[in-house]
Amino acid sequence: MVLRIRLARFGNKHKPFYNIVVAQARSARGSKPLEVIGTYNPLPIERHGIPDHLAPPRPFKDITLDKARAKYWLGVGAQASDPVWKLLNMARLLEEKPKTYQKA
Amino acid sequence: MAPRIQSRSVSNLLPYLTSSSSTSSHIPSLCSSSQSSRHFSVTATQQTKLRRQMFEWLATQGAGLKHHTPGDTNYLRMADGSQSNRPFPNNSYFISEPVLSEELRNEVYVRVKEQNKSPRAVSVELGIDMNRIAAVGDPLALPYARAVHEMIPTTPLAQAGERQTYHEPINDLPVHPATGAQIFYPVPESRPFTRIDAGRVFSGAPMLEKKAADKISHPSDLAEDVLQKPSTIEWVGKGEKARQVLQPADVRIPHPQLVQLARDRAAFPEERRAVAQRHAERLERQEKAEKERAARTADRRKRSTETIKPTDSRFAFRIQDAVFTEQTVGKDGRAPWAPGRRYGVPRNDRTRGTVKIPTRVNV
Amino acid sequence: MRNRASNSLSKGKIRQSWSKYNLYNLQRLRSPATANRTFFQQKWTAKALGRAYHGEQVREGQWKRMFSKRIRSVIPMDTSDLAADDGSKISAGRGSGLQNQEKGRPSKIIPYTQMAFAPLERRLDVAIFRSLFASSTRQARQFVIHGAVTVNGQKMRHPSYLLNPGDLFQVDPERVMFATGATKTKFERRETRQLKQKDEKDEDSEEAAEAKSEEATETKPEGEKEDGRDTLKALMSQAKNIMSTDKDVLPAKRKQELRGFQKAVRRVLSRSGTSTILTDNLEAQFSELTLMLNAKRAEKKPAKQSKQQSNSEESDSAAAVTEETEVASDKLSEAFQAAAEGADVDASELSDEEFEILKRALTQMRDNPIDHSKPYATPWRPRDYMSAFAFIPRYLEVNQNICAAVYLRHPVARPGSAEVPTPFGESINTPAYGWYLKRRW
Repeated sequence: MVLRIRLARFGNKHKPFYNIVVAQARSARGSKPLEVIGTYNPLPIERHGIPDHLAPPRPFKDITLDKARAKYWLGVGAQASDPVWKLLNMARLLEEKPKTYQKA
Repeated sequence: MAPRIQSRSVSNLLPYLTSSSSTSSHIPSLCSSSQSSRHFSVTATQQTKLRRQMFEWLATQGAGLKHHTPGDTNYLRMADGSQSNRPFPNNSYFISEPVLSEELRNEVYVRVKEQNKSPRAVSVELGIDMNRIAAVGDPLALPYARAVHEMIPTTPLAQAGERQTYHEPINDLPVHPATGAQIFYPVPESRPFTRIDAGRVFSGAPMLEKKAADKISHPSDLAEDVLQKPSTIEWVGKGEKARQVLQPADVRIPHPQLVQLARDRAAFPEERRAVAQRHAERLERQEKAEKERAARTADRRKRSTETIKPTDSRFAFRIQDAVFTEQTVGKDGRAPWAPGRRYGVPRNDRTRGTVKIPTRVNV
Repeated sequence: MRNRASNSLSKGKIRQSWSKYNLYNLQRLRSPATANRTFFQQKWTAKALGRAYHGEQVREGQWKRMFSKRIRSVIPMDTSDLAADDGSKISAGRGSGLQNQEKGRPSKIIPYTQMAFAPLERRLDVAIFRSLFASSTRQARQFVIHGAVTVNGQKMRHPSYLLNPGDLFQVDPERVMFATGATKTKFERRETRQLKQKDEKDEDSEEAAEAKSEEATETKPEGEKEDGRDTLKALMSQAKNIMSTDKDVLPAKRKQELRGFQKAVRRVLSRSGTSTILTDNLEAQFSELTLMLNAKRAEKKPAKQSKQQSNSEESDSAAAVTEETEVASDKLSEAFQAAAEGADVDASELSDEEFEILKRALTQMRDNPIDHSKPYATPWRPRDYMSAFAFIPRYLEVNQNICAAVYLRHPVARPGSAEVPTPFGESINTPAYGWYLKRRW
């Protein structure tokens, strides 16, 4: 069966928070994964009222990732889901996913 | 029914109020005055009486408290009628201590931000705690600020050529909980018992060997080593009870270099320039070590985080390295301190006694 | 949470509040009687009194969990004492120094029990009250809940957030001005109502009228030349009027005066002929005018010595005096001369005192304007009886200008003083501490 690197939703209503997990492709989203390799907080963090030189130029989203484990799982054939693909692309572990129209 | 009893027994129930507020002799006359309109209510007259007394007081003795005179505190007067810097007449241990005046605050800002002096040096120059120096921010203006500074005591900035008055004690030694115990510890009279030995006794460490003890002429000799390399502090105990040996006050105070300066001055009263030179060198070494340490931690943090700003997104993405190993997530991968949310671990967000609101806000 | 924190006179409890009722209660507070009362009763009374002031908004169970019998204290060390002795002198002999040694000054006691309620000072709402940003802890709590407070730049909606050393909290300055400012009078409230009733249409027409008058004043000065001295004098008298804190003046009249002053300022600026004058921005006007005045002041000395000096020489000397703003003062001194038609006339016109008044009026106009849309009396002044409660404990570093404060460290006791602001003496705090020492639930 296919191994997937995908997101598992945690958090509360209107407050999503994701674990980046390695799991069997057909297992439920909330089931126990093979491994948790990171987290992703899609709610952007903004800072108000602090001096300009300390404030980040734009709101940021937090990702934590165990790069070594991610590399390993990709190496043994785990497939990243689309959202995770984007994140791993930003971590420079995967090339950008080819778009469908480029195939034709 | 309750109010009727109250009016008579107020003086017994509230012994901490002045007697003038509730003398029972005045009550009947007041009652009679308003009896025609209110037959049953006794509390109402009681209230009005207290209110009347209050407004009387506010009009006479308390009249001065309504507005302040700029540059002077305006607190309640003591029992003997004297004005002081104590806002609470009953609490003799709390005084309204001066805050930094605008000029002094600006001076700190100028010295730290524009002249690039170290907070340690500025702290000694102006007599301000190092934490406070780190907290002084950018200046701005408002009428509220002016009014507040008129009401509370401030530490002014010294004129050119004058000596700056110290704002606060800068060498505060926190009382370590280990020193709370009273320990009977017999020592041979022939052997000097110093602060280093006392610290070792409090933390349950064995006495220093004679060889090591002879090397140290004064406890402040340790300060430089500890500041350069905090890992040199000895540990005692095992497992959970492992603790660092309590260091002497000379090391634990915020400005340990001042002790060395005082010693140097006492030893060489003639050579002022050389003493100052050595002090400057010590300060420099210390600052260098601190800077290096700060740079190392900043570097480590920088290496472990990476911010990516995609051109087609409104947001930046901050990728932090995490290591999901047995040590960081526990044997079964479900340790509460592990990064990310956990599977099958009970959430403590409804249990009694646990803190449910954030305990820390990171800058 | 229901507000049980009334400042009733019959109960006589003291609260964390700037109310005059509270002040009166504070004034008549005496230590409770201990005669004929059991130790339990004494402790009960003491804890009830203490809790009415300290964290009255905190549930008892919550406070009991917060309470810590460990009390932080520090000893201020004298470096010369430390240098003189390595500890062996004190411990010599039988462990307490040699007999014949002279005793140092007697040390003051550390008032530990005055710190009984210290853990509550960590709370965000209490810290806001202590920084003089709110007139009571209840109000501070409301500010937090309504989202007017940030901690380290992030909005914090929990009044029970426990500050960590180094945390920077900031309150919306408008709220602080409202909390600490005097309340509006009847007249001011009426003004506010009228302001609200005004249509946008009215505003538009007013603006148009103002613009028109502005144009008129702009065209005027080119015609008449000797007007300079008069303008300056008028400016002065208006400034004096504004500075007078006479309360009899009706707000409407005061408003009129202010508007007149503003117009006069604009007139002077329009004559100076610089490009920025036409901006309606008060800020720009202000900086312009103060710079001009400073430049003029710098000029004053040489002007007195020889009034017939040529313009170029004068501006040179001005530049020499104010070295920092060399270019600006150069330009502005010329501008001011142009404005007032001949430098020698008004350079000697204003005395130092008058100059100060003018400057202060300008400052006040910029920083503390009359604005009836605000929820507090304008120009802002501190509320009644605020000064009796105004103090800032040492563990906070407050910057009133931006309504921000840093929680430097936890409050500590030191010999002879305790940093927790408590209205009670040891006769109340010690039994209260004793009450909480024993866990009885």
